[in-house]
Amino acid sequence: MSEGLKYALRLNGISKSYDTVRALAGLSFDVIEGRFFALFGPSSVGKTTALRTITGLVKPDSGRVEINGNDVTDAPITGRGVSMVFQSFALYPHLTVYENFAYPLREEKIGREEIDKRVKETATMLKLSHRLERKPNTLSGGEQQRVALGRSLIRRPKILLLDEPLTNLDAKLRHDMRAELKRLHRQFGMTIVYATPDELEALSMGEEIAVMRDGAVVQRGTPDELYENPVDMYVAGKIGSPHMNMIKAKTGSDKTVFETSLGKIISKAKIKSAESGEAAMLGIRPSDIRFAAQGEVGIKSTIQMLEPLGDVTVVSVDTGSETLRMVVPESAATMIKPGQATSIYLDHKKFHIFRASSGQVMT
Amino acid sequence: MSKATSIWEKLGFRKASGVSEAGWGQTLFAGIISLIYFLPVLLIIITSFKLQTEALSIPPKFMPTNLFGLIPDAYVFSPTLENYTSVFSRAMTSGGVAENTGFDRYFFNSIMIASVSVLLALVIGTLAAFGFSRYPLKGNDTYLFVILTTRMLPAIVVIIPIILMFRVTGLSGSYLGIIMLYTAFNLPFTIWMMKSFFDELSLDVEDAARLDGSSGLKVFFKICLPQVLAGLAATFVFGLILTWNEFLFALLLTGIDTRTVPVAMSQAVAGGGIGVLWGLLAAIETLFLIPVFFVTFFLQDHLLRGVTFGTVKR
Repeated sequence: MSEGLKYALRLNGISKSYDTVRALAGLSFDVIEGRFFALFGPSSVGKTTALRTITGLVKPDSGRVEINGNDVTDAPITGRGVSMVFQSFALYPHLTVYENFAYPLREEKIGREEIDKRVKETATMLKLSHRLERKPNTLSGGEQQRVALGRSLIRRPKILLLDEPLTNLDAKLRHDMRAELKRLHRQFGMTIVYATPDELEALSMGEEIAVMRDGAVVQRGTPDELYENPVDMYVAGKIGSPHMNMIKAKTGSDKTVFETSLGKIISKAKIKSAESGEAAMLGIRPSDIRFAAQGEVGIKSTIQMLEPLGDVTVVSVDTGSETLRMVVPESAATMIKPGQATSIYLDHKKFHIFRASSGQVMT
Repeated sequence: MSKATSIWEKLGFRKASGVSEAGWGQTLFAGIISLIYFLPVLLIIITSFKLQTEALSIPPKFMPTNLFGLIPDAYVFSPTLENYTSVFSRAMTSGGVAENTGFDRYFFNSIMIASVSVLLALVIGTLAAFGFSRYPLKGNDTYLFVILTTRMLPAIVVIIPIILMFRVTGLSGSYLGIIMLYTAFNLPFTIWMMKSFFDELSLDVEDAARLDGSSGLKVFFKICLPQVLAGLAATFVFGLILTWNEFLFALLLTGIDTRTVPVAMSQAVAGGGIGVLWGLLAAIETLFLIPVFFVTFFLQDHLLRGVTFGTVKR
């Protein structure tokens, strides 16, 4: 426990296979108490299995699960202090909202009056007081989501696991629920592990994010760290919207100059690990490309397509050899039309340099 | 709710919300088709109120009243309850006290044997189905198939070994024997039906209950079972109707005391040497209809949901 921080959760080398499918391959991460931790990765990357391992619903083939410093790898489900919101909500369809809320408390043998009090508190907090006598299938998607959340919160868990909780909601509701979840986290201060395939959700909600690939964590860090310093092309491609532009390049002999079809690009520092002549991929964020100012030497290109997003516009430009995407303020995009010739400027200091063979970042 | 409810809605017949009612033409057409199906039952019910002479008369007398002279007298019979009294007691030709026909007992037997064996099959079959659905064995499907093969042979083929088994074990003519047989008879169907209902349930819901602190047994009783109530009702009714009407096993394996109504019916009709007593037969049949009719009627909501379970995406 370094720096006096307490770990609510530690996973160490968890592996799990189903028949021939490997769901988790040495998954390790830890979560500091009270953090909002996002587990980010595309579907079938092992996020759900990871969460189910934490709950005890899945027994890992190997590895160790610690909750609050105790090894719970083989411990029963109850007593872990973990609750989970399922992607499908998994509400009890035959019980009313009231009974859905009361169920975990009844299982804990809590007295009737206390149950009634807590159910009503939870319902008020989630604005469900008028729905208590309804059955789940008569509720809207957003209400069902809140019932699922309430049922998980009512036990006052130390750790709350959320498995793609917003995937089944429409866009507007998703936005509201993101704010709601953050508010609940502030209010209760519990540790949250939030699995999501949605980059925006991960970045906007996670205080810390672990990017998963093939059942293991590729990189973890704050949203800024992942955005600024992706460890490989996989992370670089997943974090940031629109996605990073990738340009094929060849390492020059002094390891600072890279030859590309767009001309020479000079990195901000010498790439010591590179071999001269080695193939590399240079990544540049769409926001680090702009139109060249007057008198500036830019790269001649043609506007291909405009995607207005309100305050900004995503512009695709064709340089003749590469198609690059750039983000420009809406005001700068009003003048341009597809087919028009232009000149763009790439900020050489903002390039991310990856080894073409492995996709790892080069330093 | 100020919406007028028809008598049918009060009786439990409801139409699905958001569905508009069919027009008169379609309703009439459906009514005629239904009448064709229902006609035999209707004739039986009418016949049960006729005396033997009226039952045999040609042209048939099918109206209990002449509707204030609208119907020619040739088609009108005078309804009587005589058949119903003679179901239970028979006047002696030699005079004296009426003799008990034993049908009160046979009705009790039918109700008792059918309901106990169907309920037993439901309990055992539901547990087995849950096992097959949630804790599959190696070669699960083979076991399920083997269970079904027991129903692939006609009863007449398996009756001889069963009679021998009953004779050796002394189960012939006992309640225990016929109840055990009917339970076994109902099990394959029950297991298959209930397994399909359990297969439909969301596993996430059960996992949620486990996370909420429920043990395996509680998950079954408090989460899974309540979700398949419609299935239980449907399976119960189908099993009940099959067992209620079963004739062959009952004929050969029940004794005088444990005889069921279908067997007694065949014997009551055949006996006497004075031809078939149609009125009496119809009265027995009408009485025989009533119990299953009511069970089905009261479970009809569940029944419909049960048979359409899984066909509609929730």
